[in-house]
Amino acid sequence: MITQSIKWRLQAWHGFLLLCLVTGLMTGFYTYERRVKMQAVDNELLEAMTPLLPRLEGRGEGQRGRRLPPPREFDDGPPRFEDGRPPRPEDDFVPPEDRRGPPAGHGPQASERELQLLTSANIYYLAWRADGTQTVASANAPAGVPKPVLSGTKPGKAFRTRAGQREIFHLVPNGTIALIGKSITTIEADLRRLALALAGIGAGIVVVGFAGGWWFATRALRPIAAISQAAREIAEGDLARRINASETESELGQLAAVLNSTFTRLDAAFAQQKQFTSDAAHELRTPVAVILTQIQSTLNKERSSAEYRETLEACQRAAQRMRRLIESLLELARFDAGQAQLKQMPFDLAAITRDCAELVQPLAQQRGIKIFSNLETANSQVDPERLSQVVTNLLTNAVNYNRNDGEVRVTTQLNGNSVVLTVADTGPGIPAEHLPKIFDRFYRIDSARTSAQGRTGLGLAICKLIVEAHGGSIAAINLSGGGAEFTVRLPKT
Amino acid sequence: MRILIVEDEPDLRSALARALRDEGYAVDAADNGEDGLFNAEGTDYDAIVLDVMMPGMDGWEVLRRLRETKKTPVLMLTARDAARDRVKGLDTGADDYVVKPFDLDELLARLRALIRRTTNQTTNTIGIGDVTIDTAARTVALKRKLVEITAREYALIEFLARHRGEVVTRTQLYEHLFDENDSSMSNLLDVHVSNVRKKLGAEFIVTRRGHGYCIE
Repeated sequence: MITQSIKWRLQAWHGFLLLCLVTGLMTGFYTYERRVKMQAVDNELLEAMTPLLPRLEGRGEGQRGRRLPPPREFDDGPPRFEDGRPPRPEDDFVPPEDRRGPPAGHGPQASERELQLLTSANIYYLAWRADGTQTVASANAPAGVPKPVLSGTKPGKAFRTRAGQREIFHLVPNGTIALIGKSITTIEADLRRLALALAGIGAGIVVVGFAGGWWFATRALRPIAAISQAAREIAEGDLARRINASETESELGQLAAVLNSTFTRLDAAFAQQKQFTSDAAHELRTPVAVILTQIQSTLNKERSSAEYRETLEACQRAAQRMRRLIESLLELARFDAGQAQLKQMPFDLAAITRDCAELVQPLAQQRGIKIFSNLETANSQVDPERLSQVVTNLLTNAVNYNRNDGEVRVTTQLNGNSVVLTVADTGPGIPAEHLPKIFDRFYRIDSARTSAQGRTGLGLAICKLIVEAHGGSIAAINLSGGGAEFTVRLPKT
Repeated sequence: MRILIVEDEPDLRSALARALRDEGYAVDAADNGEDGLFNAEGTDYDAIVLDVMMPGMDGWEVLRRLRETKKTPVLMLTARDAARDRVKGLDTGADDYVVKPFDLDELLARLRALIRRTTNQTTNTIGIGDVTIDTAARTVALKRKLVEITAREYALIEFLARHRGEVVTRTQLYEHLFDENDSSMSNLLDVHVSNVRKKLGAEFIVTRRGHGYCIE
């Protein structure tokens, strides 16, 4: 799903936020601009209201009677207003004071000059009596200004915006409603232009931002594409492939480095597995060759029963060898799979070693090798059967790789928190280049030292696994006086 | 035909030796590289079966050192089936290469082919007058009728036939027909020669006094 790709999701969020931000900013700016402009109009209207108010509420009538419009003229008026005909500036019903020239008064009353100024500023005014009769209307007042509807009878001011006009009206205590208005068409047109410009700019910002985001997302995600491509190739079997991790400081570079090291370890594990399988197959080849050749050569013609017996014995030896090999392989597999169960119990390592030394004694005697033991009681939590396997293996090696009439020295002792077993021989020792590898599976110092002694090349590898499963360690060194020494350390109980 | 087996696995060595002896070869065996090389350098074997993986001196080393002095055909036995090993073996001067576990009949056929190649034969039959020798079946026929002969007599006929026209010394014959375990009583060879003459005609093997024998 394309909508589930990180790139698309990033892009969607980025676009959404950008849109919100730009819309908010532009709306805010527009609202502010509009408010400022309306405020200016309102202030203008309020300023104009003060001097006009006396005239509109009809107070001036008492002071300057002759200039007052004759009520008659308006007495005829109401029907016309009530039939809905809109008054127009050229009507006869325009306020009489306008027709009769500007009032020549001073003080709070607006002068003619001020009225002219108002007119030139597009400000108009109107007044209604409480009964709804229009009493005053300036010449420039637009037609059909409806009488403001008031929610109460309390005196006060209120604003309204109506069809391109901004108007302020004032309920005077005597019931007259005075209204001053101004056309705001130009302001509204300005605001519309501003809104359009803002919308255009906003859209531009969104488009540029979106494109930039796309570019950034593509750029940022490119290494991920490279990583997934490399991972795919590795999954398809090219284990030697690695991710090109050039920017090691970046997060993705670190991820690539981690993946690379994982791949390297996997590769090594696979190679090791392959090597192990090929080694195991190789180990089986010789005994199988023995059985095949023995049987085929025997079956060529009639043989004496002694010859048949020899053949069977040879086959038995080969089969035994395969059995040992298979047992070792299974043991390794159990350890590898973590299924090797240790039956651990408190046990004296010295007792185990004594038993094993006795077992190896006949083998040692055959070659005139003496086994010297110095066994201190050394209790540890061990699986006696498995540990016997380790000790027997080390002792057998010490005999097999010894010189004739040599010596094997075996010791057990407590050393700090460890129980230590050492097995030393007087053989040729282990060549330095082989020392690090002797615990590897199928590793042999002499690549062919195999069949005669019935060795599988897995003995030390299994020893290592057993000792490590006990939480201990095994190591080998060459002694300065010749011979090799193996040391097993186990935790003390 | 005398063959040397160098193989450290005793049960394999004994089975191979028995099979080769059954085929009428004289067989010597060595259980390590050093002894094998010593034997190979001291005796003119018709072929050597050489194991690669041996303690001490391994097969590669034996082969390399042998090639410094001798061209004896060598068939390598190995437990490694890697192409790299095969190439190495052939490059070092091995003439053939068999991977364990092998089929005994195949190994014997390869040995026969190896010996045939070194004596410039291209088929398994050698015809000399009325006598036809089949080196694969190890039979001899006179006028298309099979003649009953012992393995030793066959070996004598085959060796002389492969060196047809050459005088083969008694020493050579002893070296190629008998192995270390045969008691080398000098008259034994004369017994075999006279038996062959009885079966294939007195002129089949010519005696060159003071030199040896010859088939013309």
